[in-house]
Amino acid sequence: MGKLTKVVLISFVMALCAQYAYAGLAPGKSQFKAYTWFRYTVKAEGNFTELDESYFGLERGYLRWEHAFTDKIKCRVNVDIFSSDKEADPHGAGLKLKYGYVDFKGIIPEGKITVGLQKPYFGTIYDWKYVTIEKSLEDKEKIVSSADYGITLNTDISEGMGEWQLGIYNGEGYKKCKSNVDKYPAFTGNVRFIPIPGLTIGGSLLYEKKEASKRFLMAGVCRVARRPIDCWGELIMTKTGKPEITGFGVMIMPVLKLNPNFELVGRVDYWDENIDKEKDSHYRMIGGFNYYIVKRKKGKPGVMLQVNYERKQYEDPNKEAENEFLMQLRWEFATNPF
Amino acid sequence: MKAWSKIVCAGVIFAHMLTWKTAFAGKKSLTLTGSTTVLPIAQLCAEKFMEQHPDVDISVRGGGSGVGIAALIDGTCDIAMASRPMKTKELKSARSKGINPVATVIARDGIAVIVHPSNPLSEITLVQLRDIYTGKISNWKDVGGKSGRIVVISRDVASGTFEVFKKLVLKGAKTRADALMLASNKAVATTVEKTPGAIGYVGLGYVSSKVKALPVDGVEPTKKTVASGEYKLARPLYFYTDGKPKGLAKEFIDFVLSSEGQKIVEEAGFVPVKSNE
Repeated sequence: MGKLTKVVLISFVMALCAQYAYAGLAPGKSQFKAYTWFRYTVKAEGNFTELDESYFGLERGYLRWEHAFTDKIKCRVNVDIFSSDKEADPHGAGLKLKYGYVDFKGIIPEGKITVGLQKPYFGTIYDWKYVTIEKSLEDKEKIVSSADYGITLNTDISEGMGEWQLGIYNGEGYKKCKSNVDKYPAFTGNVRFIPIPGLTIGGSLLYEKKEASKRFLMAGVCRVARRPIDCWGELIMTKTGKPEITGFGVMIMPVLKLNPNFELVGRVDYWDENIDKEKDSHYRMIGGFNYYIVKRKKGKPGVMLQVNYERKQYEDPNKEAENEFLMQLRWEFATNPF
Repeated sequence: MKAWSKIVCAGVIFAHMLTWKTAFAGKKSLTLTGSTTVLPIAQLCAEKFMEQHPDVDISVRGGGSGVGIAALIDGTCDIAMASRPMKTKELKSARSKGINPVATVIARDGIAVIVHPSNPLSEITLVQLRDIYTGKISNWKDVGGKSGRIVVISRDVASGTFEVFKKLVLKGAKTRADALMLASNKAVATTVEKTPGAIGYVGLGYVSSKVKALPVDGVEPTKKTVASGEYKLARPLYFYTDGKPKGLAKEFIDFVLSSEGQKIVEEAGFVPVKSNE
């Protein structure tokens, strides 16, 4: 697609949304939400014989404001708050703009156009509910940024048979994924089918052409759910840089729901950033449970206890395994839903 | 076993015990959650069913159709009561979690538009209703009544009645910002009953002599006009189950659809889906 075509296409979509917004503007309603993740973390290398770190922290907090201008136009602004960040100030609180977007519904049947800083529709990142405390594989390994600026088209397939999305991002996510901010947008396509209840299959593509190279990411997703089991699986393949580097990753996450308020969780990740290079891959194994003290419902508060043990094991025998014990109290409250 | 492993194991067992239900209580149990429109039918049928089956414990909770459907998806109820069909997003969420929602129509209902008994208005049109609920009309004199502010009462967004009203009357438009959004049919009926300038809408079963139900486009909201399809603000009422009803859920739904159950539906002020001959 030529540069001019891209500019025209983006301008057209923006103009369409603006016209639509103007036509239906009316006094709206606001909703305020807050999430907080208070965590106790214990870290140790090797066989957990000696502790390296043991601390409390407000690892994450969201303040979210949503406003419905009309039934078809909604916006969301999310601010991410945390007590410490290794990449920033380790002693004070940090603040980030996590999301900031407007949804335009009704332009296409069963669909919406989202404009702004939003989740990317790649792999499991956009529907990741933190069943384990750890981030999704693509987020954790910085394969894809957890939020990025762009325009996406989201559509549900009728009768609840799935969904698909198309997106264009400018590559300037608030977390950079080993990629500089540049003039090249990233294009994404994502599809999920639910052919029978309990079986979800799908895949995502992300393509970004660079000056002399490209970033091409693929993810295959599968979910099998039949109470009490819910199991997620994901395969990721990446081709980046020049000379081209191929990366490969796998994530399997089974959840066993023992009753509506209590579930056991397990997860195994494998990530090899460069399959042609030896001893650079690692495994991540997670086990634990989630206890819903107060079950979260739409617009209702919720309190949840999450306990995870996580072990990261390197292919390189000279690298010590890393252990983490995480205990997290997660709570959320909100004003009435729309 | 290391100390932390013991702590984790103890934590798992303790947390699980905290949430253990009375699995050994001996009674068979059934939970229904959702629409406050369907609530009186479910409650009356549950009472009768429990009388006939003393070993069965049926719990019926309101909250609105949206809450009931969410509970079915979440596995916290056996039957979701709904006064609207499931939305695509809800179906998608259910199917992805291995839930196969199957709807059983147990009754039909009309959404009655109600005003205070002292209100002189004798009927209303769909267009007038839309204009009132979207904010175009704010005074009773503009629809043929006495001059005075219209107090607009609506159901909240978790309500199936709200969804159906929005579709049939508002044609998708947004409810005026100053409308009072209430959580149940009963709350709407009570508020209209106590507020001379109020207008609201409720399921047929909530119409009483304490409020005045207005004919819409010249048709009175009655069981007969709902059954014949003459009354435009009509909808089916559903029980949603995960897959085809089975076990106790099937027994209960069969009872609601039996002549005895359908008689209860009629007594509750709704329209039976099976004739009682």
